Amino acid sequence: MKKFIAQSEASKKILNIAQMSSSLPVNVLIIGEIGVGKKLLAQNILPDASYFDAKILEETLMNGKFNIDEYKELIILNIDTVLNKKEFLLYLNGIKIVATSNRNLTDIESQFAIKIDIPPLNQRIEDLEELKKVYLSEANDIYNTNIDINDLAFDLSLNGNTLKNSIYKTVSMRALSDDDMMESLEFFISNKFNEDKDYRELLQYFEIPLLNAAKKRFKSQLKMATKLNLNRITLRKKLEQYFQETPDNRLGE
Amino acid sequence: MENQDFYEDLIEYDLNPFLLFDSNGKVKSYNKEAEFLLNFVSIKELFQLAVSNASTNFGFNQKYISLKYNKQSYYAILVGYVSEDEIALRLYKVVSNKVNTINNDKLKLVNIFSLIELSKNSTLLSSDLKIDELYDISIPEMKININNFLLCLNECFIYFSNDEKISLQVQIKIGEYEIIDNIKYKIVSLEFITNRDVELSNEFEQKASNANINIFTNHNRLNLELPIIL
Repeated sequence: MKKFIAQSEASKKILNIAQMSSSLPVNVLIIGEIGVGKKLLAQNILPDASYFDAKILEETLMNGKFNIDEYKELIILNIDTVLNKKEFLLYLNGIKIVATSNRNLTDIESQFAIKIDIPPLNQRIEDLEELKKVYLSEANDIYNTNIDINDLAFDLSLNGNTLKNSIYKTVSMRALSDDDMMESLEFFISNKFNEDKDYRELLQYFEIPLLNAAKKRFKSQLKMATKLNLNRITLRKKLEQYFQETPDNRLGE
Repeated sequence: MENQDFYEDLIEYDLNPFLLFDSNGKVKSYNKEAEFLLNFVSIKELFQLAVSNASTNFGFNQKYISLKYNKQSYYAILVGYVSEDEIALRLYKVVSNKVNTINNDKLKLVNIFSLIELSKNSTLLSSDLKIDELYDISIPEMKININNFLLCLNECFIYFSNDEKISLQVQIKIGEYEIIDNIKYKIVSLEFITNRDVELSNEFEQKASNANINIFTNHNRLNLELPIIL
């Protein structure tokens, strides 16, 4: 099982609460944004419990297809999605529940003797740094690369979910060989044919990255034209076509 | 004269507190219940209560008013005066018909301090509240309805979460017992002290009652008392 990373003060406290509640006969409600580690923490509290998505469990319960007696403890994910929460919890009376939710639930919080609020990752700097290291090391192993943590851009919009995704994406893209690149482009373009794109329209997938890279590297149009061995008028036309560059906002010459 | 003694005894043995003040607010006479009551509320406060609820002219004024001192609630007072020299106050106790009993099924032997720690940490994760803790660590493991105890205690910490600083004292009450099902239990007291007046909501009291906790306030103090069941 994956570990709930607890390097920051807040997370250490959270993990401590989780461990203490593990042995107590009380329900626990874990609240936090998507990707903060709610499910991992729930599994930390009840390592041997089955887990269910609340919405699916609700339907199964209503159909009478769920044998409650089989369970002493349950992890219920996204309990905020259940329509009639009070009735839902009444069905599960007698079972130790650890539930997760993306938001506060004032109507049923009194059913949970312990409530744990996990702050978003950007408020837990030490955890964030540790997670970056873990994901980067995983990605470097898989793609056989050696990318440095300082070379990466991170997306934290959905906390750990997008963080992992953005790291894997960056590493996998950096790991591409010329052949990989060609192959993936070929696959990409082949799909674009389904959208009835013609040669001129498809050209943007080559030209935009090319021009972007050149802009970043060479800064001025003059230098770009020289280095790309391209007529300056042609270059300006291309820039206007793709980036709507006018004399006011175009690159300094 | 015998008749006078009889009336005095009637007042003396009344279940309701009775006090007689002079015009300066000094207590001239009081019964047993009032003596007990004075452990929890000042003479000045009771005198004020009498004066502010006295009838405009000489006579008696009965008023339905909800009061709570320590564990005891009162539903009405009677204020009377027939001269400028003295004023009498009688408070009417709320008598509960709730049977004091314990549901043993839900009780579990546990260390009360670990529950306090758990409640404190989970409710105050993002609070800056500072707590001066004074714990009597000789309190043994005791049987508690953990779920209901935590729900009540969470409410306490949430109540104080916007304060800057409180103190929490946990100790065994010396010389006080609670009798449940004819068994005498020692009492553990949790006292929260802050620097403002503490008020209880009905919901708060309900949660306490579910956990076999006596809850009451005294100005800036919130007290929780529960029997030590071993």
